[in-house]
Amino acid sequence: MRREDLDRVMAALREPTRRFVQEARVRTCLVVNGAGQVLGQHGFTRSYEIVNIAALAAAAHAAAGALAGLLDAGRWTHLHNDGERQQMFLAPIRTPVEELILIAIFDEDSSLGLVQLFFDQLVEQVQQLPEFQHAAASGDQASFERDLEAAAHRILSTDGPGGA
Amino acid sequence: MNNDLFLAVLQRLSRVPGVRGAMIVDMAAGVPVVAEMADGVPPEPVAALAASLFRRTARAAEGVAFGRLQTLQLEADAGHVVVAEAGETAVVAVAERSAQLGLVRLEVHRAAEALL
Repeated sequence: MRREDLDRVMAALREPTRRFVQEARVRTCLVVNGAGQVLGQHGFTRSYEIVNIAALAAAAHAAAGALAGLLDAGRWTHLHNDGERQQMFLAPIRTPVEELILIAIFDEDSSLGLVQLFFDQLVEQVQQLPEFQHAAASGDQASFERDLEAAAHRILSTDGPGGA
Repeated sequence: MNNDLFLAVLQRLSRVPGVRGAMIVDMAAGVPVVAEMADGVPPEPVAALAASLFRRTARAAEGVAFGRLQTLQLEADAGHVVVAEAGETAVVAVAERSAQLGLVRLEVHRAAEALL
């Protein structure tokens, strides 16, 4: 994804993620792609190592997909990690362009049911965005390098990746 | 606590005239444990929102020193939602506007007591 494409996608995801955080009452919401690139974020994102979380979530997504394949369980719908104080909800957002991953971190202000409820609405909103309507160019080496460059630029930029 | 008890409690509640659905909800997760809802009423959103509303109201009640919240009753144009705490779960009843609210509340309380 080119730098300008990334900016456009991040701008498009801003409102859906903001609404999701507000309605589901999660602390943090991240939307990343399969490569672990952060495409959208909202909430208390400065409390966490966003880039690390995104990379680990992408890895968990891939691992869960492989596990589901091994178990003949089909495609997975979400992963829920119930911690002592905080919980994490990881779920794929399937679009014609690519599969995105939502990472939502929440505490006792929300619940799994509430997150699931508003996640379904988030998916509908994201799927309606023009940025995710049509499949883009294939993931060749050039686009991979563009992704890498864009991600590096965001990590190294002093502004950070944006968000709340 | 076994599933038979959950089902027995729900069946009794569902027989109250005007009750369109009843469920037992895991309060922490906000998801239904067992549910008997009228056709077209999905239990998951009702469970999530009822649990969230109950927890928030309970917090507000504690904030104004009202003590522990026992029952939450929501009235709308077309019906009522009654929620009663039962330990880690809650009993939720969705009733039509014309339902006898006193009876619905009584049965919801009985159901909650049976689960404790």
